[in-house]
Amino acid sequence: MKLDFEEVSVAGLAKSYGPTLALAGVDLSFAAGDVTVIQGSNGSGKSTLLWLLAMLAYPTRGEIRYGRYGVSRADELRGRIGFVAHQLQLYPGLSGHENLVLAAKLQGIPYAEKRAADLCESLSLGEYWKRPVRTYSRGQAQRVSIARALLHQPRLLLMDEPATGLDVKSTAAFIELIEEQKHEGAIVLIVTHEAKFAGSVADRVLHMDRGRIVEPES
Amino acid sequence: MNTLRAAWLVALKDLQLEMRTKEILTSTGLFAVLVVTLGSLAFYTDPVSSPNVAPGVLWISILFCGILLIGRSWALERENDAVFALLLAPIPRPSIYIGKTISALVLLFAIELLLVPLCLVFFQIDGSAIFVPLLALVFLGSVGFVSTASLFSAVGIRTRARDLMLSVLVFPLVAPALLASAVATRELFAGASIPEVIGWIRILAAFDILFVGFGVWMSRHLLAET
Repeated sequence: MKLDFEEVSVAGLAKSYGPTLALAGVDLSFAAGDVTVIQGSNGSGKSTLLWLLAMLAYPTRGEIRYGRYGVSRADELRGRIGFVAHQLQLYPGLSGHENLVLAAKLQGIPYAEKRAADLCESLSLGEYWKRPVRTYSRGQAQRVSIARALLHQPRLLLMDEPATGLDVKSTAAFIELIEEQKHEGAIVLIVTHEAKFAGSVADRVLHMDRGRIVEPES
Repeated sequence: MNTLRAAWLVALKDLQLEMRTKEILTSTGLFAVLVVTLGSLAFYTDPVSSPNVAPGVLWISILFCGILLIGRSWALERENDAVFALLLAPIPRPSIYIGKTISALVLLFAIELLLVPLCLVFFQIDGSAIFVPLLALVFLGSVGFVSTASLFSAVGIRTRARDLMLSVLVFPLVAPALLASAVATRELFAGASIPEVIGWIRILAAFDILFVGFGVWMSRHLLAET
């Protein structure tokens, strides 16, 4: 049975990489159906926060709770998290469809081939979904990456600069898609530098500086 | 998801990629053939001494080819940070290590299927009676080596000194297994029967169990954080 949660909260979350303090004690909570956008300068700790929430790294200090579950249930919780990273995290030698099928199978989704094909169609991945990813433009690959994050209908959707490389039409479709996720009760957390994009999707905008949540500069 | 099912999916993905590009098989296979050819040209003097020289040449070529193969296999995971596709999946961490080990072992064994007869021909050794036990021995020797090298390649995802680490740590660790393999191969080439080398095979099997067990246990921790 899939784990379910209505809220994600972090308390006193800190992360160091050697002497570098990437996150310096963050307290936050994210509710179902909310879209939170995090902004801040390079190196402010935004991506680190996403990596910790995706359980790709563990905090030096502090705690993350996914509803009533902690990171000790990491293997199961990953089945409820979708992550679009800044790096594409796709196998360049596989086609977009094959990357999605692999992800679907690893997620234990029944009829993985069909689910991947349906998603390719709904995201208008068009003709190129059968070609190797290495032949894709950044925008095309980004759409596959977004599709993969949505494959398993995640409860927590983490996105690091998701609009990178998307053209105007794809960005509009992507904004609609985030709205859909919001209405389905997903917890959406987006890191972006694009103020216009942030303004069109965010319920809440947070600013980070030197590993902390700060008041935005006026 | 079940560890073995996830490992199978990881291995299948690697083999699917390799069947498409044949990049690893071509580059490492050619390298291994070159080492055996050069070794036979440099060291072969007569049919009497060749059973003593051939095992060294065979195992050196397997060792170098294996290191290249495993390094290339994990390099595929680093390209585009693709390994995170696996790390983000709700699968037990050891399944990634097991899957990568299985695919590397399959590819290495495919090269060995070419390498072993080539070595027998080049060194003029009659291998008709020992071919199957020889292949079994080569396979057993490869299991321990590949499982150890895969483990250190997994560590290498987050270190820049991955090639240095592979050479410095893997070779000494697998040395006992390689020595056992080389000696057992020499005995077979010299005409020893299976019961005469069974002791070496047992030692190899014990090493394999130890290395694979250690790899599975360590991968749980090594792949926990990136």
